[in-house]
Amino acid sequence: MSNKVAIIAANGGLFDAYKVFNIATAAAASDKEVQIFFTFEGLNLIHKQGMHALEMPAGKEHFAEGFAKANVPAIPQLLEMAQDLGVQFIACQMTMDVMGLTKEDFVDGISVGGAVTFLEYAKDAAPTLTF
Amino acid sequence: MNIAKTLDAKGLACPMPIVRTKKTIDTINSGEILEVLVTDKGALNDFTAWAGAGGHTIVEQKEEAGVLYFYIQKA
Repeated sequence: MSNKVAIIAANGGLFDAYKVFNIATAAAASDKEVQIFFTFEGLNLIHKQGMHALEMPAGKEHFAEGFAKANVPAIPQLLEMAQDLGVQFIACQMTMDVMGLTKEDFVDGISVGGAVTFLEYAKDAAPTLTF
Repeated sequence: MNIAKTLDAKGLACPMPIVRTKKTIDTINSGEILEVLVTDKGALNDFTAWAGAGGHTIVEQKEEAGVLYFYIQKA
């Protein structure tokens, strides 16, 4: 049985952030090694400013109340929790170049890598998840 | 039952009860028992799966007044 979980985060909305960080923290808390590859809009989730202003899908803004009522932690808090549990964050170099972003635009502790970096990690991971 | 530690995770949403439980169980010794109080209904299946993944044993669980109690013996 593999002890590795590989996650691709390719979308940058608030719902996407919860899907990614909830699964990642749950896996890390279950003693799994976890790596997340952030690509395209997914880079929003680890962007220093962007992660504080993630948007809900159009027409779903009313869920804000539900989030508060369910006592769901804020994304920056979940992100910190994930890092604290040892989840590794990889930012996609190619997307960063396209978007004009540098490593300094992202939260501390991330690595920058390409597709091969992720594939090499994911080749014996189970499951590999894409959000 | 000899409880080494109690974790109050009432009111917390997934995945925080599991995250807190993981952090707390790291602070007790193998064979000791951790008591966890949760109100998240997803915990019912989550704790069973989580304990199985880590090799821990749920020696007892109950529900009282909407609160789930888990007694987890550390592997």
